[in-house]
Amino acid sequence: MPPILELHGISKSFPGVQALSGVDFSLELGEVHALLGENGAGKSTLIKIISGVYQADQGQMLIDGQPYAFHNPREAQRAGVATIFQELILYPELTVAENIFMGHAPRSRYGLIDWRAMRQRAQELLASLEIYDMDVDSKVGAMSVGKRQRVEIAKALSHNARILIMDEPTAALTEADVERLFNIVRLLKQRGVSIIYISHRLEEIFMLADRVTVLRDGQHVATKAVRDTHESDLIQMMVGREIDDLFPKLPSQLGATVLRVRGVARHPLPRGVSLEVRAGEIVGLAGLVGSGRTELAHVLFGITTAQEGEIWLDGQRVQIKNPSQAMRLGIAYVPEDRGNQGLIKQMKVRENTSLAILRSIARSGFINHQAERDLADRFVRELSIRTPSIEQVVNKLSGGNQQKIVVSKWLASKPKLLIMDEPTRGVDVGAKSEIHRLISQLASEGMAILMISSELPEILGMSDRVLVMREGRIVAEFSRAEATQERVGAAMMGEVYRQPIPEKA
Amino acid sequence: MTWQTRLRNAFTSQEGILFIITILAVLLISLQTDRFLTVNNLLSQARLMIEVALIALPMTYIIITGGIDLSVGSIFGLSAIVLGFVWQDGGWPLELAIILGIVVATVAGFINGAFIVWIGVPPLIMTLATLALYRGLALGISEARSASGFPSWFFEIGAGNTLGLPNQLWIFIIAAVFFGVVLSRTVFGRWIYAIGNNEVGARFAGVPVAWAKLTIYTLSGFMAGLAAWIFTARISTTRSDMGSGLELNVIAAVVLGGTSIFGGSGSIFGTVLGVVLIQILRNGLSLAGMKGDATIVAIGTILILSVLLNSFIQRRLSSRG
Repeated sequence: MPPILELHGISKSFPGVQALSGVDFSLELGEVHALLGENGAGKSTLIKIISGVYQADQGQMLIDGQPYAFHNPREAQRAGVATIFQELILYPELTVAENIFMGHAPRSRYGLIDWRAMRQRAQELLASLEIYDMDVDSKVGAMSVGKRQRVEIAKALSHNARILIMDEPTAALTEADVERLFNIVRLLKQRGVSIIYISHRLEEIFMLADRVTVLRDGQHVATKAVRDTHESDLIQMMVGREIDDLFPKLPSQLGATVLRVRGVARHPLPRGVSLEVRAGEIVGLAGLVGSGRTELAHVLFGITTAQEGEIWLDGQRVQIKNPSQAMRLGIAYVPEDRGNQGLIKQMKVRENTSLAILRSIARSGFINHQAERDLADRFVRELSIRTPSIEQVVNKLSGGNQQKIVVSKWLASKPKLLIMDEPTRGVDVGAKSEIHRLISQLASEGMAILMISSELPEILGMSDRVLVMREGRIVAEFSRAEATQERVGAAMMGEVYRQPIPEKA
Repeated sequence: MTWQTRLRNAFTSQEGILFIITILAVLLISLQTDRFLTVNNLLSQARLMIEVALIALPMTYIIITGGIDLSVGSIFGLSAIVLGFVWQDGGWPLELAIILGIVVATVAGFINGAFIVWIGVPPLIMTLATLALYRGLALGISEARSASGFPSWFFEIGAGNTLGLPNQLWIFIIAAVFFGVVLSRTVFGRWIYAIGNNEVGARFAGVPVAWAKLTIYTLSGFMAGLAAWIFTARISTTRSDMGSGLELNVIAAVVLGGTSIFGGSGSIFGTVLGVVLIQILRNGLSLAGMKGDATIVAIGTILILSVLLNSFIQRRLSSRG
């Protein structure tokens, strides 16, 4: 039997970038095939070609041995290719059933929508995925990310998808939702659906995938059976070099207390948080999505203001009213949502790097352009940001390099306290390691660092001290020696597992 | 960068294309009539366009931040009415009346900004409301009477010359250079672009977004007041319907000048070219014998064509890299 999908010598270029050159790929019936590579390696381009968003410049695509070329996503859908992108494309104001059958609702004899059939078929679809806790009449907008993703999967199946592409499906999921997703993937596989699975989390690949294909700089590096490979092998293929230690934490001298927070609350989250961060210390803040970690960071940076509690900085009680004031007090915040909060993506590397500290490189309001260029050049060099020039629009750079620019912007402000919210989310392995090295180095130079992360290995590997937040409060504290995956994980979930507070839509 | 690429970039930028269109328009019109390309005609046309031009400067800032100010025509009318009323009916010295007119306009702009920034009313809604509100105030104060009979020194700014150029043209040149330099060279200008491209991102980078937006809407009111004073001095009377529909001419000029209505990009040079091109067309077509109604249709058509041409060229350029 021929593979269900075959790509031969696929090439695609964009202005100034060769995104893919001569990539081969094949997908067997009922196989989970992982696609791995650093950001900018060409994974997104490849799946967009398979799903008809882009057209290849060169190369051939075969489905069931027949040559195919999709001119738009609809044609791909008709041929049985469905894609679940990172940003879910659902209509929040419509119900589960309406979303599933958007554009192909069952019709009654008179050409009207047959609501009964639609609801029934939606229920059948969900049941076939062993989803029994979802009401087909409830609106999608109020649902958690995990539930919305399950709706997307049901929607794909309603199109009789034989090839399902999942682009980082676990990036925004809670642990419980990840587990359910894995079950669904296994179910689909049994039913003969072939799955292309993209993820940065290597352990997922070992749990789910049959084969893995690694891309690097738009080229096919290798395709291997997962059982014939191991983690460091894959990392080395992705980055083209050995990474001996993912979390190079340097020892550092702890100094005086920089940040002291007492009973800080703001409705609905956080609900009374007390913590301290000392100079040279990395404090890891663990917790589920929705536990109030980001909301706490927003209060500390003046995005929102505290309704209760006290914030002390270097022994001084401070009122933080807005971000520019927080910045003057020596606080910097690398936000969770890089695209919307961290960067002005349409602006240049130079302009993004200097944005926070423009006033300090200006004389009577006039920007000193030489100083600005020097600043950008210095950070591009020191953080080895891979960009053609400082005049490059940041939108065109890979996730890891974009994140380094966010960090540059805040290092330029010479903060005493650096708050990092998911510092390596959506960042490739190579850049991740570089960012960890940098965080560690900053701490050893005496900066106080509060690091929020949903990746336990990152928390455990980087932190001098681990705090765990649940439902708006700090519920546990561990020293570096005490912190283990089990203890921190148990504290995150609570003794009795409860549904986490859904993140705001 | 070599001088060739510099030159190529200059001529394929939004402003460069608009500049070429403007030159072409001048050439074509002067082939049709010999009354167009004369010093006297051009100077009097310059006088006519100044009010729109002055208000278009802060409007450029506002549109770059992704906002809009529809109330400028009404602020303009209100400011002129206040000037005429307190001088004629209130018996104020004319100098104070001028200042009060500008202060009222500035406050009107500040009120727009305050509601937009602190209450979060969308600019379109807020300024649509004050478009009606400020016009209503102007009608109420004036009770449909007009003020006239100003002393002759008052007309100097609207009808006089300095060094051979209309006085208000000098004011505009100074203002345009100021606005242009602030936008392209200063921290404040960079903030305006940052807000227009991503307001949330700007806020997270410590940009005082609320303060910057409040400033530009206030500035918009101030410039409308300045323009109202100059206009009153040019036509020597104040009426409550003055400046109605002015906002559309201003916005048309700014958008024609290449400022994106979605925010994030634009320049003062482009806006100046936009204002000039519209005035040239209006004057040139009527001199060439076109009737009033037909002139408006022709200008509308040319506006659409030039915007299309511009976006066509920009798209070709960006797809070629």
